[in-house]
Amino acid sequence: MAAKRPADRPRPTLLILLVAALTLLTLQFRGLQPLDAFQRGVRDIIEPVRSLSDRLTDPVQTAWNGVFGFEALRMENERLEVELARMRGSALTSEADTELLNRLLSEVDIAYSDFDAVVVRILGQPPGNFSAHMIEVDKGTDDGLEEGMAVVTGAGLVGRLEQVDRSRSLVQLATHPDFRVGVRLVTSQDEGLAKGTGTEGIMRIESGVRLDAQVDNDEVVVTSGGRSVFPSDIPVGRVLDPDSDADYRRSIIIELAADLENLSFLKVVLPAQKAEGAR
Amino acid sequence: MSSRLRVVAVLLTALVAQATLLTEIRIQGATVELMMVIAILAGFHGGPERGALVAFFAGLLQDSLLSVPLGLHALVFPPLAVAVSSLEQRMVRSAPVADAVALLLAATAGILTVAAVGLLFGLSPHDPGTFLARIITAAVMTTAIAAPVNRAVRWAVLGGLPPDIKLRAVGS
Repeated sequence: MAAKRPADRPRPTLLILLVAALTLLTLQFRGLQPLDAFQRGVRDIIEPVRSLSDRLTDPVQTAWNGVFGFEALRMENERLEVELARMRGSALTSEADTELLNRLLSEVDIAYSDFDAVVVRILGQPPGNFSAHMIEVDKGTDDGLEEGMAVVTGAGLVGRLEQVDRSRSLVQLATHPDFRVGVRLVTSQDEGLAKGTGTEGIMRIESGVRLDAQVDNDEVVVTSGGRSVFPSDIPVGRVLDPDSDADYRRSIIIELAADLENLSFLKVVLPAQKAEGAR
Repeated sequence: MSSRLRVVAVLLTALVAQATLLTEIRIQGATVELMMVIAILAGFHGGPERGALVAFFAGLLQDSLLSVPLGLHALVFPPLAVAVSSLEQRMVRSAPVADAVALLLAATAGILTVAAVGLLFGLSPHDPGTFLARIITAAVMTTAIAAPVNRAVRWAVLGGLPPDIKLRAVGS
């Protein structure tokens, strides 16, 4: 009798492979370091090829954007001009409202510009289809970056470093459904936990803020600091919907201050002790 | 060149292509799932066992490249390859259009399954508003590149030789 061909007995093989995959998943969730190191090693090995490819495709991308993104750029320019005019108007009218404005500005500006930071360049979206609300930047552990560090622009909070390799890092954007940050409402001084919603430009405070707290539209929201990994007083955004009518659980919608569209560079905020060490 | 070396060569080339060129090509945020199409085609050409093995290693490499737990794609790809192989054996005859539709369905099912398993393991991979559109776009893009990948995978798993011919006695 002829022996069974390998193609005729897929079940044991499939079972072994499934068990192996489940074991790997379980071990990774238990925090087995060698598996992380293996993944990081593979990414580091192909990193030079990726950098070379980035450099080679940059001119093509620029040409592509020039040809097919011209209309979008023109509209963006018009939008920014309108925004600039609106901001100039706000600056003038704010003179009549100096007390509140000064308070907001002082809250927002406290130490924010004094943070030590590493400037990173946005490389784009990471590979694969499971990277929504993530971006890749061009610096990593070689430049002193670590997982969990806050990522900001001049306008405010962008996200946090989620995965740091030797010369690349992944930034989890503040809109990512897994993103959490402690925040403070500047006027009411209430603190809460804001989370990403999976929707571009929007976060939500779902816990911490009292039901009877007076929260206004457009109120400025900053990071609360404290035990959080983020430094305090980084601008997060403005209140879009204060959910003042909530009966049981308040859900305050925030419009993020930082807009990533057409940005090329970000800043990674270094913790105080690391910044001192770097000096 | 032995079959194993050919498979390794195809997998590593695909990994580099996925990490470089294909990452730049996005439509509505969706990109090609090159390693998944290799897993599907390995099941199609190589049979259930060889297909599952190639699919497992394709999944492992994919997991290493992406920011997902190691084993996520490796868990989904082998059953996908076995399912495709099983369907292939039941097909009376192969036609390009039917093959393309089958590949599209397999890719859609594969991406959906990865998303579902990812959710079980605590990943929130997609914007809820664009979830389905992104998956369908990714599946269509994946199907679109199948022709050249098909040749490479067939070469890797069969070595350019025609597949085994099964002889059946008439009336048995």
